[in-house]
Amino acid sequence: MSEPADIMDESSCDPGTRLYGRIAEFLYREADLLDSHRYADWFALFAPDIRYDMPVRINEFRARGDGFRDIAFFDENYASLRTRVKRLETDSAWAESPPSRTRHFVSNILASPGPQAGEFAVQSSFMITRTRSDQGYQLFTGKREDVLRSEGEHFKIARRHILVDQTVITNTNLSILF
Amino acid sequence: MPASKARPGPTKSTFTCLSNGERLETIVRPQEGLISRRIFADPEIYEMEQDRIFARAWFFLGHESEIPKNGDLVTRSCGRDPIVLVRGDDGIIRAFLNSCRHRGTRLCRTDRDNAHFLRCPYHGWSYRNTGELASAMGESHYGPGELEKDKLGLIAVARLGVYRGLIFGTWDGSAPSLEDWLGESRWYIDIIFGRTGGVEIVGVPQIWDVDCSWKFATDNFTDNYHVFSTHQSLVPLGLLPNDPDFACHGHMVTLGNGHILHFVKGPPGVEEFEAMGVPKTLWPKFADHLSPSQADLFTGHCISVGTLWPNFHWMQLVSAGDMESKPIGFLNLRLEIPLTATRTRMYSWFAIDVSASSEYRTASYEAYVRTFGPAGIYDQDDMQNWEDCTSASIGPAAKRYTMHHKMGLHRQRDPNWPGPGVAYADSYGELTQRAWYGEWLRMMSAPFANGGQSP
Repeated sequence: MSEPADIMDESSCDPGTRLYGRIAEFLYREADLLDSHRYADWFALFAPDIRYDMPVRINEFRARGDGFRDIAFFDENYASLRTRVKRLETDSAWAESPPSRTRHFVSNILASPGPQAGEFAVQSSFMITRTRSDQGYQLFTGKREDVLRSEGEHFKIARRHILVDQTVITNTNLSILF
Repeated sequence: MPASKARPGPTKSTFTCLSNGERLETIVRPQEGLISRRIFADPEIYEMEQDRIFARAWFFLGHESEIPKNGDLVTRSCGRDPIVLVRGDDGIIRAFLNSCRHRGTRLCRTDRDNAHFLRCPYHGWSYRNTGELASAMGESHYGPGELEKDKLGLIAVARLGVYRGLIFGTWDGSAPSLEDWLGESRWYIDIIFGRTGGVEIVGVPQIWDVDCSWKFATDNFTDNYHVFSTHQSLVPLGLLPNDPDFACHGHMVTLGNGHILHFVKGPPGVEEFEAMGVPKTLWPKFADHLSPSQADLFTGHCISVGTLWPNFHWMQLVSAGDMESKPIGFLNLRLEIPLTATRTRMYSWFAIDVSASSEYRTASYEAYVRTFGPAGIYDQDDMQNWEDCTSASIGPAAKRYTMHHKMGLHRQRDPNWPGPGVAYADSYGELTQRAWYGEWLRMMSAPFANGGQSP
């Protein structure tokens, strides 16, 4: 454990500070955009130099590593995320038309100063429930490692690294966004 | 090569009755384009497939490049049987049932590793990576003749073969050799996997489960007709042409033993769509590795999707991965493992020419990962279809009806096709599906005669 946070410290992003609250609120509002299928508004949260990836995980012994490999389920830049969003806005992206009903739960948020001035390295846990058509719940869980960049009073997502818990995705497809 | 030698499974057709009295031959009539919906989501059919198809067909296990070093291993499955695919300390690739000879425990519990010995955690039985039982814990407690270690090696597949880096195995000791079984398809495998001297798998497969019959996926991997409708969302984005006939300019080819494929042309005069999207800098290599007619065929086409019966596919495609990139070729290998009648485990690998430049590697990978696999902007819509086909084929009323596989029923073969097999012009048609179901019916039409043999 680190020293107790000074919640009055305007430069700190430890839990309890104003900055931490803003970061958490940003992630909650982002989740709401996804769950409301407001894809264009969601895309507006990303910086043009975004790299958004979800590596494939394998099942292996701890001594061999964390199981994440250099093949991904998602490996996106600004243009390809924009393409996904444009696609979801057509009425013929059949995997999401009619759309999945999702609930993005975001928790375990921890923030620290990021790689550049004005950036924050933010990790969070996610649990996403999805129900499609008349089917039961599908569950996606994992961790996101984000870099949030301050732009005035707002943030842009400059990096998103999605670490899934499953080695075999047991949920039909990955037509939702994380 | 006489065709009869290369055909595993039954040599004469016998009637196969289902528990409701129906005969498979009556409800599956490929020559008429009538395939019963019953065969897709029915547990009885699934159980028969396990013995009659998966316990004797050659099945895909992996690619040599996945286990390049001695001791490298990956775990796979064939039907419901778990497999460990390992390159032994002697450099030889083997495939074993991933199960200890003592209590049957799953031996390798990770997806990949490098090991000299495979040690069972249960009672400590330890096997060399070449399969022999090296030691058991507490051996002194066994009396004379009780632990015959030389007879307790890992259970190996009956036959294993490697062709152009592709590793296949079969549980049927009487199966033809891999080369004979591949037969005419080798000419095309040589093109797709040998065009520039060889291809390699990059990284690990994406693996995911879909609530569908495996056969709806298999059916889809030889279907050009669906592309415009299923992937319609990509038309307004400029990733697919606004022409319902755009993927029809090619040939379907049926080969022996149920192997099938397509060769489809791209829009004429567009360099990105020639040679299946392999960059022009690599084209000089075609002359070193392909015959002139193979090289002409490859250079003149944009897409080749092939199935090595029953459940392994290559997809050599050309697409941009997003609205701003240029189209580029990529090679995607696919496998469907049926888990139940209505649930299937999908494997998707990315492969590329060994001699690829780093630019081509990156562009090809990005195009693949953005368009195919479970998150792919093409592929995710296919999974929706497979699930919806399956869920609507379960009920008793649906099972009384057939699907419709009649397109091109009266089409004549194209005598000018330069390669082996029977080729039909116009790549919109259901000739390859009918050939696949024909082989399915043949394999399903007799019980497994030589199952249960001890190695």
